[in-house]
Amino acid sequence: MRSRVIVLEVNDEPREFLAPPGTTLLTALREQLGLTATKRGCAQGACGTCTVLLDGEPVMACLVPVETVDGASVATLEGVARAGGELDEVQAAFLEGFATQCGFCTSGMIMAAEALLAANPAPSREDVVRAISGNVCRCTGYESIINAILDAAERRAAVAG
Amino acid sequence: MPVTVEVPESVEAVVGALGERSGGEASGRDRRAVVIAGGTQVMPRLNTEVTGIGTLVSLRRAGLAGIEVGAGSATIGAATTLSALGADDRLAFLRPVVESIASPSIRNLATVGGNLFVAQPYGDLAVALLALDAEADLAGAGVSTRAVEELVHDGPPRGGVVTAVRFSVPPEFRYRKAMRRRLNSASIVTVAAALTVEEGTVTAARIALGGAGATPRRAPSAEVALVGGPLDAARAEAAGRAALDDAEPFTDAYASAWYRGRVLPVHVRRALMGETA
Repeated sequence: MRSRVIVLEVNDEPREFLAPPGTTLLTALREQLGLTATKRGCAQGACGTCTVLLDGEPVMACLVPVETVDGASVATLEGVARAGGELDEVQAAFLEGFATQCGFCTSGMIMAAEALLAANPAPSREDVVRAISGNVCRCTGYESIINAILDAAERRAAVAG
Repeated sequence: MPVTVEVPESVEAVVGALGERSGGEASGRDRRAVVIAGGTQVMPRLNTEVTGIGTLVSLRRAGLAGIEVGAGSATIGAATTLSALGADDRLAFLRPVVESIASPSIRNLATVGGNLFVAQPYGDLAVALLALDAEADLAGAGVSTRAVEELVHDGPPRGGVVTAVRFSVPPEFRYRKAMRRRLNSASIVTVAAALTVEEGTVTAARIALGGAGATPRRAPSAEVALVGGPLDAARAEAAGRAALDDAEPFTDAYASAWYRGRVLPVHVRRALMGETA
């Protein structure tokens, strides 16, 4: 069993690396590419803390063998902030709305929120609840997270408007 | 445990990759090859357990995703994601089924074919496909088609792969899933029913259950109880009671066998009557 050369477009930049057989997308991001915002929680697809966008869709990176998505585009939390480190609307709303407690779910929550707002810029509260239904916050801070995502939608609409 | 990952670009190549390694049992160097579609079943095992799996044969590039709808029937490629199925307006009657399963980030990976083989109390789409009397197309399995009901009972075809499921769109479809939480939760019991009602009389009924046995199953006693009369509360209740004759409820972390048996008739009745609460 040999390592394989994999090319991904990660946060809009082409990245080429060697993946040992059976490497998950999660492990490739963290260990091959040094992008550690994406967390390993349950490794079973149950907690959502490894949520990234794969070709624009939110998925659990722990469930994807990276060799099956060679050539794909991947977005992680590292690519969310704007140039110069300015937080985007979702990050700013999480920070100011006290939507991070221990922080372990935060990168997955933000990526799920980014996917929602890209597809649905004016979500209802129910839309938000559904969008983060695969993301567990064991601090149980869901209300502030939901409020922050709704706030982010308003902030983004204000910027666009 | 490192595994070899194959990403074949045709169904023939998938079957070939499975065939090369399907002889080996879980021992020595010749560990077995399994199909991976969305990965939501096999990857949790690989990530957390010692398995006998040596090779993953991915369906991602095998051309098995896609939905065709025409003349009252539908064909869904086995590697179609649950999200893609849930987004298809032509099959909107299946949207409540899809949205009752897991979360968006799982449904973006999980596939229609994979759902046939999920352990209970998951596999709610399989319950719906039993009610639809769906057929599965196979490759490399010795036969080219099998009833989904048989396939769900027997498990994945050895050395082969499901390529598509096919069904006729029913005149009336009912679905209900009882869960611990409102979203992203396994089934306590799941009920799906395809009904034909002519001039106020139920002339045909196919009712299927989840949470009622080791695999999703039909409820023939409930079907007999429902056919031949009006679709009213009394007959729906009788069908619910009859469904107990078809069920072998089990105990797990979500509910006890006693509880599942206790609530099954209620949820059959509510499903048949189209009650959403």
